Amino acid sequence: MVNDKDAFDSFQEKFFSFHLDTITKEAERLLDSGCSPQDFLRACQQCMEEVGKKFEAGDYYLPELVMAGEIFKQVSSMIRPLLKFGDGQRNMGTIVVGTPKGDIHALGKDIFCILAEAAGFTVHNLGEDVPPDGFIDKVKTTGATILGMSALITTAYPYMAQVIELLKENGLREGVKVIIGGGATSKDLAEKIGADAQTWDGYEGIRIIQSFAGA
Amino acid sequence: MKKKLYDKDLMTADERLDKVIRCEKPDRVPVSMMIYYYAPYHTGTSMGEYLRSPEIYKQVMHRVYNDLGPWDIYYNINPYSRLVYTFVMMMRSLWPGVDLPLDDVVQTEEIEYMKTEDYDKILNDTSWGAKYWGDFTFRLKMLSRFSLDVEGYSLPRLSLKVLTGLLSQTVFWRSDFKWWEKQGLVVQIGYQAEMPFDTFSQGRNVINFSKDLFNIPDKIGRAATKLADGYATASILTAKLMGVPRVQLYLHRTSNSFISPRHFENLAFPSMEIIINRLIDAGITPILHCDGDWLKNLKIMRRLPAKKCILQLDGMTDIFRAKEEIGDHMCIFGDVSASRLVMGSTQEVDEYCHRLIEEVGKGGGFILAGGCEIPANSRPENLKTLINSVYKYGYY
Repeated sequence: MVNDKDAFDSFQEKFFSFHLDTITKEAERLLDSGCSPQDFLRACQQCMEEVGKKFEAGDYYLPELVMAGEIFKQVSSMIRPLLKFGDGQRNMGTIVVGTPKGDIHALGKDIFCILAEAAGFTVHNLGEDVPPDGFIDKVKTTGATILGMSALITTAYPYMAQVIELLKENGLREGVKVIIGGGATSKDLAEKIGADAQTWDGYEGIRIIQSFAGA
Repeated sequence: MKKKLYDKDLMTADERLDKVIRCEKPDRVPVSMMIYYYAPYHTGTSMGEYLRSPEIYKQVMHRVYNDLGPWDIYYNINPYSRLVYTFVMMMRSLWPGVDLPLDDVVQTEEIEYMKTEDYDKILNDTSWGAKYWGDFTFRLKMLSRFSLDVEGYSLPRLSLKVLTGLLSQTVFWRSDFKWWEKQGLVVQIGYQAEMPFDTFSQGRNVINFSKDLFNIPDKIGRAATKLADGYATASILTAKLMGVPRVQLYLHRTSNSFISPRHFENLAFPSMEIIINRLIDAGITPILHCDGDWLKNLKIMRRLPAKKCILQLDGMTDIFRAKEEIGDHMCIFGDVSASRLVMGSTQEVDEYCHRLIEEVGKGGGFILAGGCEIPANSRPENLKTLINSVYKYGYY
């Protein structure tokens, strides 16, 4: 439990006014007041969930998501060293994410990765221009049960389809859910290449992978 | 007198376009094809060669038109050089045959080339002519920071290179247009550029720009407004020089996929309104190239003059809802999606085009087109289906 209500309220206030410059001080204040790293992480995750709800309700837009993501990145980098692996952290599952071969766009994918991490997923972000084998190798080595691909150009389509085919060839498809996203994708495309879901919206993406994870 | 494109046509392409801009019913729905990136793949030409040589560009485009045409509107977005492209679309672009393999498509890299101090520099510029040339000089200053073609150039040398490039573009286009007009088409664009607000978002990158929206929103709005007159001046001059009374305004970062309706109204719309009103006063039709989801911005867009603008949607805005919201006020342009053109069947494309014509085309004020660009790997039979649908279903 967070045991200093004033410090927590102050942290929350700074979080939701998206004061990135002062958030580290607020986080230090909260930790100094005796809040454990585990409770602090949970408090951050609660804030992120609230951001998600407001985004879905149409009260928040991309800039709020981006700022919340930046705050989460900043404070979680402060407390991660204080936590032992699995120490009070939720583990919703493991997800491998990347932009397929032929496409070098990163922005939407990177925002999604931060949100997924905040939602308690272990995220392996492979970066951009990832060859189909790169996705498969990472799924094998991490045991990921979710695979995400993001594309802004249509020439990435055949590679997305190839990744799904390779999952099947390697006997992995049954155990791995596939989500695609990005401006060039559509629900029709997901159906055609055999992906399980598609989104243009980072938070809808989180809801989808939460449902994959049975949350 | 231009020739008619189909046997049942009662109007020329120019007359048809004029009618739909006024939200009226022409003889049939017109179609525009943003076929620039698709064309070299269609003809088996290397993308790198096609981008480098205006002559190859001409040959390739003519062949595609002969294979797939006719259509009504020549969607001219070909740049004379990468420098000209990046001058109007302020983002670092990677070109096949230069930074990418020869047959790849053009890609963009999101880098931060603009600093927060640059808003102040725009706002504090009291020099003579800043009102008219502020946008031009801002672009030049930014170009030297991100363009891969002019790194390290001094401002005078850069200005000379850009002006030479723009002049070459003008000369090339004026000769290029003749062929299309001879085929009976109307040329879409006399000038095109990304809007100031969108350039700030691009130049700062999405993360820094999000910070700016919380920390210094007022500066963003005021700086965009300060550049508006300069943007309008350059647009009007170039469009007049080209002899094409239409200007395409790129709005990549102004949709609700990026910003809230409140930010749109307070920070982006004021500069947009100045530019659009000045263009309309000069007898020019603004074409608003609206990427992303614009639905919640449309109510604000109704403040723009009625029946004077074209609203181009890319498939992410619900075009059927847009017709209800603003179809009596602006001509709607779009929106067969990229994925449908690449992965869909001809039947799916035909059904979607039919629905667009019936619903968005109802009462006039509609131009059928792809959602944004026609993808390089589109299926040719799907493009033929899109084009043919105006003959099949589009007569009023």
